[in-house]
Amino acid sequence: MNLLVTMNSVRLSYGRWPALDNVEMEIRQGEFLVISGPSGAGKTTLLRLIWMGERPDSGFVEVSGFRSDRIRKRELPQLRRKIGIVFQDFRLLDSRTVFDNVALPLQVTGTGNRTVQKRVISLLARMGLSHRRNAFPHELSGGEQQRVAIARAMVAHPVILLADEPTGNLDPEVSREVVDLLLEINRGGTTVVMATHDPRQVPAGKGRFLFLDRGVLRRADRWTELDEES
Amino acid sequence: MSLFQSSLREISLNLHSKPGARLVTLLMVALAFIVFNTFLIISWNLQGLMNREENTVGMEVFLQRDLSQAQGRVIGDNISSIPDVQSVYFVSPEEAEALFRAELPERSDLLDVMGSDFRLPASLQIVFEDEAMTQRRLSELARQIEALAGVDEAVYGEDYLPGLLKTVTTIRRLVILLGIVLVSSISMVVFYTVRLSVVRRSLTVDIMKTVGAPGWFVRIPFVVEGIFMGVAGSAGGLLLAAILSKVLSGAVAHRFMPVSWMTMVILLGAVTGTVGALAGSYEKER
Ligand SMILES: Nc1ncnc2c1ncn2[C@@H]1O[C@H](COP(=O)(O)OP(=O)(O)O)[C@@H](O)[C@H]1O
Ligand SMILES: [Mg+2]
Repeated sequence: MNLLVTMNSVRLSYGRWPALDNVEMEIRQGEFLVISGPSGAGKTTLLRLIWMGERPDSGFVEVSGFRSDRIRKRELPQLRRKIGIVFQDFRLLDSRTVFDNVALPLQVTGTGNRTVQKRVISLLARMGLSHRRNAFPHELSGGEQQRVAIARAMVAHPVILLADEPTGNLDPEVSREVVDLLLEINRGGTTVVMATHDPRQVPAGKGRFLFLDRGVLRRADRWTELDEES
Repeated sequence: MSLFQSSLREISLNLHSKPGARLVTLLMVALAFIVFNTFLIISWNLQGLMNREENTVGMEVFLQRDLSQAQGRVIGDNISSIPDVQSVYFVSPEEAEALFRAELPERSDLLDVMGSDFRLPASLQIVFEDEAMTQRRLSELARQIEALAGVDEAVYGEDYLPGLLKTVTTIRRLVILLGIVLVSSISMVVFYTVRLSVVRRSLTVDIMKTVGAPGWFVRIPFVVEGIFMGVAGSAGGLLLAAILSKVLSGAVAHRFMPVSWMTMVILLGAVTGTVGALAGSYEKER
């Protein structure tokens, strides 16, 4: 299987304490990867390394042919266009409508007006957000906001979707819907990496589970084992 | 939408967000430019005054009224032989009157009032070699010429000119100094305003980057904001200075600066704004 992401002896510290220590891992194309671990374990940092919002102090990260120790500043946008990102706090732009939020990744690459219209409208329809198209983020429920954020992350057809605690601000029922949506996106062929402090949100067998503990990566095949460890 | 069009859209979105935050900066830039413009106007007027004086440097020697034209010419010949004198030109009373009417048309009624018998005095206009143009040599020459028989009075920009020259030089230095202070302080003000704007819109900036917007695309709204503040601020300063100049024109006769200088002021605003904005929107990583 194709490797999409490789981490090679990655070490990264903020100040004196390593946030990630000697991380070795691979992400295969098409898989659903769950990275779990308690708060402060380094999950967000790991995802930031993938979209290269952060570079390792030593070792390197390779994502879809771009290597963290060789990539040029002007190549970063090319890398980021292959990656979709979803955050715990949604990070929608408040002064723009749902439509404009979702259209943003296409607009910053100069996609033609008609293509933008077509893609955004059909994506919003698939996510059940058509009627909210002209609403502003603050007018939406948390679940709706996160669906808009996922639509924004997916509109440019990324090869990999990074979701950092996507359910962290949502109640259990809505959380389940969001996880189902991510699983559905994965079935469509997009690689998904989800970071969460609660791996039970993803049904066992639906993905590969990795466990982060104070910056050290451990393998875990089933969430029940994780439960015992933590 | 092309990339260019969406970039224009981002520029306009940025300019329309929180215009109040920029108002203070605009006001500061405009006020700084008013001070600068005031000195420019003073400099321009002094310069003009001096140019006019320089043209008439030389000396006007008025002859006694009872002299004949021939006697006047003899005195002229005598003066020509004095060292440092370049040329002597005899102005007859008729010519003096014609000159008076041409140069001061609004006062020509004065001559009419004096009646047809009135004659302006004949005079000699003397131009000196450039080396003689020191105050000391000029006053020496004036004394020498006034001592000649038939000469009534020798007139030149005696106490006026050297003082003027010094003032003009001082003002010009002041304008340059002020220009440097202006450029650096306005750049700083624009720098901090743009920085603030970047921080205020950090979510937009971050999201733009994570969705793969090119660096220039993220940055250009802020650069335009800086240029806008420089240009609008300097134009505002120019406008306020023009109003001030208009209001004061009754009390102090003066001219406003020429168009080329105004263009320069706006250009200075644009350059300063650009420098501040480029520095303010610069980010090392990501
Ligand atoms: N920008 C930062 N500056 C300093 N320390 C940071 C920064 N980001 C994260 N850390 C530290 O790095 C460690 C890992 O953080 P993070 O990756 O956010 O963990 P998680 O997402 O698993 O909660 C934590 O100890 C956190 O305090
Ligand atoms: Mg986190």
